[in-house]
Amino acid sequence: MASVTFEHVNKRFGDFVALNDLNISIADKEFLVLVGPSGCGKTTALRCLAGLEEVTSGSVKIGDQVVNDVPPKDRDIAMVFQSYALYPHMTVYDNMAFGLKLRKLPKDKIKQRVENAAQVLGIEALLKRRPRELSGGQRQRVAVGRAIVREPKVFLFDEPLSNLDAKLRVQTRAEISKLHLNLQTTFIYVTHDQTEAMTMASRIAVMNKGILQQLDTPQTLYDKPANMFVAGFIGSPAMNFFPASLRKDGSELFVDANEFAVKVPEDRAAIYMPYAGKQVIFGIRPEDIHNPLFVPPGIHAAPVDAKVDVTELMGNEIFLYLVSGKNSFVARVDPRTRFTIGSKVQVAFNMDNFHIFDPSANADNPVAVR
Amino acid sequence: MTRKRSRLLLYLPLVAVAIFYLIPVYVMLVTGLKGFEEVNLKTMWDLPNGIQFDNFIEAYNKLAPHLWNSINMVLPAAVISSILGSLNGYVLAKWKFKGADIIFPLILFGMFIPYQSILIPLVEFMKTINLYGGLPGLVLTHVIYGIPITTLTFRNYYATIPKELVEAAKIDGAGMMGVYWNILLPISIPSFVVVLIWQFTQAWNDFLFAVVLTSPSNWPITVALNNMAGSQIVAWNVQMAGSFLTALPTLLVYIFLGRYFLRGMMAGALKG
Amino acid sequence: MRSKKENWQAFLLVLPSILAVAVFVYGFIAWSGRVSLSKWKGLTPDYTWTGLSNYVELFHDPRFAIDVRNTLIFTVIFVFGSLVLGLLLSLLLDTGLRGEGIFRSIFLFPMAISYIVTGVVWRWLMNPATGTRISGLNLLFDKLGLDFLINQWHTTPYWGIAAIALPAVWQMSGYCMAIYLAGLRAIPDELREAARVDGASEFQILTGIVLPLLRPVTLSVMIILGHMSLKVFDLIVAVAGKQLPLDVPALYMWQATFDGLFYGRGAAIGILLLLSVAVLIIPYLFYSLRSEPEL
Repeated sequence: MASVTFEHVNKRFGDFVALNDLNISIADKEFLVLVGPSGCGKTTALRCLAGLEEVTSGSVKIGDQVVNDVPPKDRDIAMVFQSYALYPHMTVYDNMAFGLKLRKLPKDKIKQRVENAAQVLGIEALLKRRPRELSGGQRQRVAVGRAIVREPKVFLFDEPLSNLDAKLRVQTRAEISKLHLNLQTTFIYVTHDQTEAMTMASRIAVMNKGILQQLDTPQTLYDKPANMFVAGFIGSPAMNFFPASLRKDGSELFVDANEFAVKVPEDRAAIYMPYAGKQVIFGIRPEDIHNPLFVPPGIHAAPVDAKVDVTELMGNEIFLYLVSGKNSFVARVDPRTRFTIGSKVQVAFNMDNFHIFDPSANADNPVAVR
Repeated sequence: MTRKRSRLLLYLPLVAVAIFYLIPVYVMLVTGLKGFEEVNLKTMWDLPNGIQFDNFIEAYNKLAPHLWNSINMVLPAAVISSILGSLNGYVLAKWKFKGADIIFPLILFGMFIPYQSILIPLVEFMKTINLYGGLPGLVLTHVIYGIPITTLTFRNYYATIPKELVEAAKIDGAGMMGVYWNILLPISIPSFVVVLIWQFTQAWNDFLFAVVLTSPSNWPITVALNNMAGSQIVAWNVQMAGSFLTALPTLLVYIFLGRYFLRGMMAGALKG
Repeated sequence: MRSKKENWQAFLLVLPSILAVAVFVYGFIAWSGRVSLSKWKGLTPDYTWTGLSNYVELFHDPRFAIDVRNTLIFTVIFVFGSLVLGLLLSLLLDTGLRGEGIFRSIFLFPMAISYIVTGVVWRWLMNPATGTRISGLNLLFDKLGLDFLINQWHTTPYWGIAAIALPAVWQMSGYCMAIYLAGLRAIPDELREAARVDGASEFQILTGIVLPLLRPVTLSVMIILGHMSLKVFDLIVAVAGKQLPLDVPALYMWQATFDGLFYGRGAAIGILLLLSVAVLIIPYLFYSLRSEPEL
């Protein structure tokens, strides 16, 4: 059990910058998820921690020890690979025992640890089989088992669920969370799937282009994304963005997106007042756009006119793809909604949950105004 | 049923070519199994009246010491060059050092060179280190000139093994040799069979190195057979039996381990 | 990350092989090159510098001219014979007919045999005698009433070397077949099915899709066979011994060096052989390794 720290870590492959001044400190027993699109550097960060890549500069610490020059075998970590990387010529038992044999543990101790782990994972019956005789889900368990028996300071997971089918993925997600609870060890988990990140993590590090975008709890990332990238990455369907300007009208403040203008509630107007007259990005999540007939009570609803382009019935909800002038956006509305395609409708924006991003400093990734 | 008939037509050329391929075997066996009194160039295509092993016995008596020379030379040559190839292949596929990508093609080139271009220095060198004339020098030669093809085969095989497997083993606590010994070597046993068979065949069938490096008492069987065939005293039916004896070991390997033999052959074509 | 120590261990592991190849391939080539520029003639080494005179002599040497001509004839017949036969057999076998395995085994077994064995057997099959002493294939042709096929084989004036290509094709066409078959099996069925749906006849599929896709295979096989034919030696020795009409560079090198003790000339022939092989092989190596996916 140990904390993990990345301090000013840079990693370059030739000209390509994979990690750009990465700083993360992960507390002992934390479940940290590194998330981001492919090529964002999340896997590189994990591999630097595992010792499979050398950092270009900066330092990686496990506990208080800088491990930059420590080979993987001496870092006391265990890793579950995306492809599982089970040794094809060994039985499940030998796969799990291999690391312990190399560490010269006594035979009976190895046996005990392997059997314990097998029991926890429900794979006792598979111990004599070889990897090729196992299903995808079983292989995944063996890979986890191989990590558990090592009783490492830190568990590393590199997209361990991406080769499972959708149903199994949901089930295994819950099992890994439970495992973290039982083992009380630091987990570091890489995924590109924001749902996995949201459901499992105690904290999430969102990365893009080698740069850490935001590191916080899932709830905070969802409620208060630090910038447009995080806002767009977390949540599904993604947040809607509109280029807009903030217009002051007496003591009132409006978000003016040309096709529509919505009023900023008084309690939040003060925050945005300094931006009055400026170009901003207005963001609102699909779940904060309602059918006027089913607006939840007690919110500041602002009406917006739009045309229905496509509707997708999901069962418990409906996704409306709406067009307002040049802007298209998505609303996630009550399943009782009966809008027909092509019709002009009015929807209600929940103005208690919207986001303003300021593009003046960084046009590629505007920063949230809070 | 024209489709069926046209399919039957496909067999005509195949059978014709198959006969062409089997003619030499037919002649070898039919001639070898005839008795001495039956041997006549006029009747070479006729089946023997009865099976007699006189020719084989005589051929064996003449070739036996050279057969053993071949065996004693081929086994160490094949084993050593396979082991070296496996180690090289492992490093060149999974532990690329700086310059490995330049060294690999330089090693590979060695398998294509005409040996005439190194023959004079080879002989001089073997004389200098006192290995000229004997089998150890021939073994050394086969080992070294076998390195390119064995390295290529193993390197290509190890390159197909996912790097995650190596990484998992490293995290599990294995070092450079540990990964080889515990993971890659056991996985590559089939490749070992391929390379061993290939090297066995190559060294067994070699003539050039053998004839230039060994003295008559140390001749392997190919040189002895060629010598026998060139002499006027040995009857041609004995020559046929001798040819069959010379071909037999590699033919047996081919018949029983043909799958591996084929893979070794394909490896030599790089990407094919 | 790999520890520095392990990087060194890895390098040390391949070092003996690298050194062996460096000495036995590149060192010896350089040494041969030096011999080819020397006056060395006779049993004792003599490295007296003589410039390119050994090469110049070779270019004026009628025997070397015969060698070059023979090599060209042999190469053309051997390479195209093996390619065409191999391609034909692979196309026939790729139709998925019964007994494919048996045929494949029959076509491939000569690969397992020594050129010496092949040569010794074919020397009797290609017995050039006619009339009352007729034998070998000529006798067979006579019996089958195929008299027009009766010929003098490798003793035919000028074209004798072409007869040597026959056992060479016998030995290597199976190899071509195997490589072509692997190439054919690598063509996805969807491609042919798509062409069939598009209305192509089986012949059009063959000429429009299959053969163009086999082009890289053909190139590889041509280069491999081509460089083999430049090196041909064992087979000729076993079929015909050392005769001037069937002379090739490898044979001349042998006789010049070990029978005639003209070491300088022998080395020069060896170097010329190496250069001609290098012209074929180096681009091939470059092409093969460059198009390899990054590992």
